[in-house]
Amino acid sequence: MSDGLVKILDGNTFVVSDARGDIEASRTDPTGLFSFDTRFLSRWVLTVNGERLNPLSVDDLQYFETRFFLVPGTGTVYIDAKLSVIRQRAVGNGFHEELTILNHADEPADLKIRLDAGCDFADLFEVKDALEKKGTYSSRVEDGKLILAYDRGAFSRATAISASEPARVDKNGLTFKVRIEPHGEWSTRLHVVTRQLGAGQAREEIEDPKASRLRMRRNLERWIDEAPRLECDWEPLKATYRRSLVDLAALRFSPLIAGGHSLPAAGLPWFMTMFGRDSIFTSLQALPFAPELAATTLRALGDLQGVRSDDFRDEDPGRILHEMRYGEMTAFEERPHSPYYGSVDATPLYVVLLDEYERWTGNRALVRELEVEARAALDWIDEYADLQGTGYIWYKRRNEKTGLENQCWKDSWDSISFRDGRLPGFPRATCELQGYAYDAKLRGARLARLVWKDTALANRLEKEAADLKRRFNVDFWVEDGEYFALALDPDGNKVDALASNNGHLLWSGIVDKSKAKALARHLLSPRLFSGWGVRTLAEGEARYNPIGYHVGTVWPFDNSFIAWGLRRYGFKEEAAVIAAGILDAAQFFAGRLPEAFGGYERAQTMYPVQYPTACSPQAWSTGTPLLLLRTMLGLEPHGEHLVVDPALPSAVGHLELLDIPGRWGRIDAFGRGRVDVERSGR
Amino acid sequence: MITDSTAAFFEELGRRGHEPLLGKVTGSVRFEVVDGERTERWLVTIDKGTILVSRGKGAPDCVLRADKACFDRIAAGELNAVAAVLRGELSVEGDLRLVVRVQRLFPGPPAGRADRRAAGYARRQS
Repeated sequence: MSDGLVKILDGNTFVVSDARGDIEASRTDPTGLFSFDTRFLSRWVLTVNGERLNPLSVDDLQYFETRFFLVPGTGTVYIDAKLSVIRQRAVGNGFHEELTILNHADEPADLKIRLDAGCDFADLFEVKDALEKKGTYSSRVEDGKLILAYDRGAFSRATAISASEPARVDKNGLTFKVRIEPHGEWSTRLHVVTRQLGAGQAREEIEDPKASRLRMRRNLERWIDEAPRLECDWEPLKATYRRSLVDLAALRFSPLIAGGHSLPAAGLPWFMTMFGRDSIFTSLQALPFAPELAATTLRALGDLQGVRSDDFRDEDPGRILHEMRYGEMTAFEERPHSPYYGSVDATPLYVVLLDEYERWTGNRALVRELEVEARAALDWIDEYADLQGTGYIWYKRRNEKTGLENQCWKDSWDSISFRDGRLPGFPRATCELQGYAYDAKLRGARLARLVWKDTALANRLEKEAADLKRRFNVDFWVEDGEYFALALDPDGNKVDALASNNGHLLWSGIVDKSKAKALARHLLSPRLFSGWGVRTLAEGEARYNPIGYHVGTVWPFDNSFIAWGLRRYGFKEEAAVIAAGILDAAQFFAGRLPEAFGGYERAQTMYPVQYPTACSPQAWSTGTPLLLLRTMLGLEPHGEHLVVDPALPSAVGHLELLDIPGRWGRIDAFGRGRVDVERSGR
Repeated sequence: MITDSTAAFFEELGRRGHEPLLGKVTGSVRFEVVDGERTERWLVTIDKGTILVSRGKGAPDCVLRADKACFDRIAAGELNAVAAVLRGELSVEGDLRLVVRVQRLFPGPPAGRADRRAAGYARRQS
């Protein structure tokens, strides 16, 4: 890990420690044991005879377990240690730690082994903002366990710490006094268990650590076995694919309402929660590989769909949530995440995912089950999102204190600008939102006709979609640049910067055929295409900055949807060029694409410069190689069949994707690289 | 002003008949409202959106339990039910997916109750 921190997790429970396995978190320091957005351990320090330990190595065994090899002494000079210390830690309901000490000497060793423990029970939001706590702390010893607790009214969170070997337990930790014979060893199991969410939900089973590890290993093996198998001449692609599958497994999150099923959370570890946009985009990317993620996403987001008008949560009837959190500040409504609804793309994308899911799997039962939710989402587009009465989706937050200002995927303050750098006022109507609305209406019409048997609704949606497309191609078209404006400002002026959003418009299908060629040209032009991928904002715009978050960096996820859009309009070779660039970049990150990397010209830096972000892996970056495989192979469901129409970069050579799941059962796809990306790229 | 918003809520719910928001939902929920020594119980049975409120016992799919003060605020739209669960004031047991869908029945905040439909909707309706 580049930051020297070691992270392991299971769902939204995770441990971040230093390379010794110790945790010494300050209020704003992001280390500790976290679960459901609350820190359950902020101090966990091991000493032997009063001495801290020195790390020799860390083995990242799996995403849920790790092993630390340590020796006593903290000096920088190598010490001829007579003791070795091994801490093997796995996340469960909290975590288990197997602590083993080996005595290499010919003499017995008399040791005082101490684990200091403490907790500040910080909400994740507090870790970011350093806020004061309003409740009370306590610490007590109960049945040989150390109980650390925090209470604020009925809100109660606690951590229970115990050991398998006899220990002296006090309010600040555990002490073991042991004698280890010459060349002998001693070991104990430590259990750190979280207690939360009311007495009714309190689970405090201590699963046997070995059984727990075995269960999680088997689960990971099964996950990989069930995904299609990739065979390919180009070795790096196989490694990237394998990395993506394993990371996607780690990113699975099982909300309490989902009965053990999983959906993709947004990012590891800080965004291990339901995000409407991220969970939907990742489920779309992963559909040909793990379609069950989409089903869980649709159910969970549907269950929590907005039904009220609530300014604090930016909630409207039919709106799909933006983000769900479980911590203290959410509980006391100091933050609106119970859940917060402030995004405007998740709702149309919800309908897009439902339709795409049916196209792949043929599962009409789910489409019937979610009819109420899908209809409400379609209604929301016209009834609640058209803030200006112009027939477009607009956004402007109603929660001005803790709500989100930018409610599209490019959500940083300066992401939406004019060519000259001016920022438009609110409400704003960014272009890709209109594309998603168009697509949602057409797909909703298909589902209405096919499954809900509502021809009137289907006809109305198709008419609205056609009308939206006609108006959009006039109102957003920048004549002198031959591309679509990034947004409209409140007065209906075109926010005229050239941005990657044009690629999402191709994906949605809202673009007039006559305009598509100009867009493809822009997307592959030196102003937008860096050689690795399409920049978020074109070089030459006033706010362009190759390391600006949404104003010049390259986002792998963005590029995967751009490639899909290019294919949709028949630009196979252009899509292959983008796929080749992004997959080349993945090699520099050992197959794990970051959230974003610098927009520098490929020829200039020779390697992609990573943008520093807190989360890795990020779900929709992890899903990117999967969607690129789909676009390169030209996989498209057609009736009961899967159409394969490959356009692969020549470097890929021969490629086979075997056992692709879908309404056809399992099917194989083959392709051979024939696209010369050097020539097609420029 | 003293109003029993909990009683008013269940009375209104009993008159609602069919609730389109729960059109695909079938299941039963018992609400236990603790008022000092006394616990009031309502059993809400949902059959594909058709709601029946009774004082019946039966074995429900899930149980929601809170103090009367807490439940009055939820019934009046002053307290969000999900936040109340996270806070530990509203306890839930049983089928959590059903709980999440049933909380759709609770009203929104009074301040946000005005017709929020967007301008475009008004335009197309006229």
